[in-house]
Amino acid sequence: MIDFVLSKKQQELKEGIHNVGKFVIRPMSLEMDRNHEVPEPFLRNFMKLAGGRGGQDIENFGEDGSGEEGKKERDPSKISEANRTSAVGAEELAWADAAMVLCMPGAGLGGPPVKSTGTPEQRKRFLGMFKGMDTGPLKWGAYGLTEPGAGSDVSGIRSSCRKDGKHWVLNGRKCYITNGGRAIWTVIFATIDPALGRAGHRAFVVEKGTPGFEVGKIEEKMGLRANETAELVLEDCRVPEENLLGGEAAYTTKEGGFMTAMKTFDNTRPLVGAMAVGIGRAAYEYARDFVKENYLIGRPIPRYAAIAAKLSQVSRKLDAARMLVWRATYMADMGIPNAKEASMSKAAAGQAATQACIDAIEICGAHGSIATEHALLEKWFRDVKVYDIFEGTGNIQRIVIAKRIMPGLKAF
Amino acid sequence: MIDFEPSEDQRMMQDSVAQFAKSTLAPRIRESEKLRAVPEDVRRLAHEMGLGFIDVPESAGGQGLGLLTRVMLEEELGSADAGAAFGLSGPGTFGAAVVELGTVEQAAELLADFGSTDGHARFGAVAWSEAKPNKERAGFVTTAVLEGDGYKITGKKAFIINAPHASRFLVFAQVDASKGWGGLGAFVVEKDNAGLKVGSRHDTLGLEAAAFGEITLDNAIVPASARLGGGLSEADFTKAMLRYFSKQALVVAARAVGLARFAYEIALEYCETRKTFGKPIGHFQAVAFNLADRHMDVESSRWLVWKAAFAWDTKRPENEAIRASAQAAAFALEAAMRTGDDCVALHGGSGFIRDLIAEKLMRDAKQIALCCATPEQLDQIAAAIDLRAPLDPALVLPTPDAQAIFT
Repeated sequence: MIDFVLSKKQQELKEGIHNVGKFVIRPMSLEMDRNHEVPEPFLRNFMKLAGGRGGQDIENFGEDGSGEEGKKERDPSKISEANRTSAVGAEELAWADAAMVLCMPGAGLGGPPVKSTGTPEQRKRFLGMFKGMDTGPLKWGAYGLTEPGAGSDVSGIRSSCRKDGKHWVLNGRKCYITNGGRAIWTVIFATIDPALGRAGHRAFVVEKGTPGFEVGKIEEKMGLRANETAELVLEDCRVPEENLLGGEAAYTTKEGGFMTAMKTFDNTRPLVGAMAVGIGRAAYEYARDFVKENYLIGRPIPRYAAIAAKLSQVSRKLDAARMLVWRATYMADMGIPNAKEASMSKAAAGQAATQACIDAIEICGAHGSIATEHALLEKWFRDVKVYDIFEGTGNIQRIVIAKRIMPGLKAF
Repeated sequence: MIDFEPSEDQRMMQDSVAQFAKSTLAPRIRESEKLRAVPEDVRRLAHEMGLGFIDVPESAGGQGLGLLTRVMLEEELGSADAGAAFGLSGPGTFGAAVVELGTVEQAAELLADFGSTDGHARFGAVAWSEAKPNKERAGFVTTAVLEGDGYKITGKKAFIINAPHASRFLVFAQVDASKGWGGLGAFVVEKDNAGLKVGSRHDTLGLEAAAFGEITLDNAIVPASARLGGGLSEADFTKAMLRYFSKQALVVAARAVGLARFAYEIALEYCETRKTFGKPIGHFQAVAFNLADRHMDVESSRWLVWKAAFAWDTKRPENEAIRASAQAAAFALEAAMRTGDDCVALHGGSGFIRDLIAEKLMRDAKQIALCCATPEQLDQIAAAIDLRAPLDPALVLPTPDAQAIFT
C-alpha cells in the first residue's frame, strides 16, 4: 500500500535527533567549524546513547546492520525498513550539522564493503573493533579509493599491490579520505596490474600503524571543516594476506573487486542525498523564518511576491529530491536493484540543496552573507557544495543514470 | 511506513486504464486533434469504465476511490493523449467543484445524469475565469443579483474547458461587490437557461481534443437553490475554493506527468536509434545527461503528486495537503514543459514537423500548465501557507487579476 507517513519508530528517531540537533548540536556548530573538530565529550555522550555502537554507521539507525556475531537475527519474513530509517535519520542529523555526521565514530564508509564482501572472520574482527565505545576509546574506520589521478573512474586507480609470501605489498597515494588520519583501519583499493582494469582490483583492510602506511596532508576545505579529510601514503606497506577483503575467492569472479566499490555507492548515495536535503532544508527554514520576521508579508509588494516564489521553488525542489531518496531507499529495503534510483536521488539532492543555500543567502539580502550575523547560513553554504561532489559528482550520477536508461550505452 | 507499492486494486485499475490509453487513445491522438474532440466511441468506452467518477464520493454517486487512485489513472491517460484526458465527457471539474461547495444531497442530484447510460454525451463545466480583470474594483465583472426567489446573473465568462459541449455549468459571479474577492457566489446554470449563450470556441495552442470556450450570461435567472456554498462564511468559501483548485491542480499535474513520460520515452527511443558521427546521439554526454535529467523530472513529479494525493486521502491537516498539492503541481507542470521542450529539441528538425508527435507534446505541455492554477500562482499559495500569511482570496485564488487560467 502506498504510504508516505513515517513509522512510529522513524518519527521518534526524527524528533529525537531534531531536539538534540536544535538544542545541543547547532549551538556548537560554529565552534566546531572554527576548531576543526567535534568535541570528544559530545561524541562520547552520543556513543553512550547509541549503546556503544558506531554512530556514524548510519545503517545502525535502523535495524542492526553491524554484521556482528551473536546479535539477534532479523526475522526474514518481516520487511526491513533500515535504509528508509537511515535516510530519515541522516536528513535530520545533517539538518543539525553536516560535518558532525561525518565525525561520528564507527566504521563509516569502510563499513559497507567489509559487510558486503568481508569473510565472516573479517566482519567479526574489523567491525568488532568498534564495540564498547561508550566507555572505551572512540574509533573510526575509513574508505580509501580516491587517488590524485582517479576518482569516480575507479578503473583508473594506480595504487599497486603484489603478493609476497603471506603478505601483500602496497604502494600508492590516496587522497580526500574522510577521517583518514584518525581511522584505526582503512579499506584501501589497489590493483595487481592496471592493464587488467577492474578485474585487477583488490581491496584491503589496512590497519593504522602498519609500517609503510602513513598519514599525509590534512586538507583545508571550503566547508565541513569540523571533519578531517586526509591524504594517505602507502610505501612498501606489507599487509597480512588475511586482510585481503573477502579472501582470494572473492576476486575469482569477474569484476569482483570493482563491484565491491560500487556496491558501497548504491547503499550510500541515497544517504548522502538525504544529508544534502537536510542541509538544504536547514537553509530553507532559516530564510523562511528570516522573511517572516523581517519582511512585510501579506502586502502585495513585488519584492514579496518574488521572495515567496523563490522560497516555494527552493522548497519544492528539496521535496522532489527527498521523494527520490525515499524511493531509492525503499527499493534497497525491498531488495530491488536501485543503482539508477540511488544516482537520481544523489544528483537531485546535491543540486537542490546547493541551490537552496545559494537562494537562502540571496533571500536574506546583504544580511545573508555576514558571518557574524547569520553565521550558520554562511556555513551551510560552504558545507553543502561538496554534496554535489563526493560519492560521485552530479555529472557522474548522470553517467550512471544514462547507462541504466540506455542499455546499449557501454561507455561514452 | 514509506511505501511506493500500489494496492492490488490500484494496480489492476492502472493496468486496465493503461491498456485503454495505449490501445484506444494513443493511436487516435492525431484523429482527436483534427476532430477537435474525443470521438464518440472512445468517450463511450471511457464512460463505461467509469473514468469520470473515480474519486467522486460514493454518497454523490461516485466510486469513492480517492484522489491517489485518480491521479494514478490520470497519468495513464496523459501518457497517451493529454488532450483527450481533458476532452472526455463526464462531470469533470464541475463534479469536483460541486463536491467541494455543495451538500451531499446537492452533489448527488447534480451529478446523477452524468452517470446515466447517455453520460458519454454529457459534460460539466466550471465558468470561473473572465477575459479581463475588473478595473473598477476587486472581484469579477459578472454579477449575481438577488431578485425575488432567485438570482439574476449577468456577465461574460471565458477560458471554460468543454464549454461548447457542457450541459451544466457552475458559474462564479460577484454577489457582494463591496467585498472584492471575498464576495463571490457559485451558481449552477443549465445549458438551456434562457439567459445563457454559449459563445465561440477558442482556437488553442494545444490540447485540441478538449473544447475551450466562453459563455455569456444575459440576465440569466436561477432559483436560490442553484447557489452552492451560499451559507459558507467568506473564509470558508475561500478555503473550499482553495481545496477545489488544489485538488484540480493535482489532477492536471498527474496528466502532465503522463505527458512528460510520453515525451521522455519517445525522445529516449529516438536518441537510441538516430545515429550521427557513427553512434546513437544518446551516446553523447550532452544528450544522455539531458535524458537523465528529464527522467529525474518525470519520476520526482510522480512521487510528489502521489504524496500530495495521499495527504488528501488520509485527511492530513488541510493546509499541509494544499501546500503539498501546490508544490507538486508547480513542479510537475514545469517539469512537463521542460520535457516537451527537450523532446522537440532532441528530435532536431524532425521534432518540428507534424509527421512526428513531438511537436504536439510540446504544445500540449504549455497548454496544460494553464489548465489549473499556474506554477506562479501555486508558488504564492505554498509560500503563503509556509509563511503563515493570511489566506487572502485575492492572493490564493487564481483570479484574472493575477493570471487567467482555464477551468
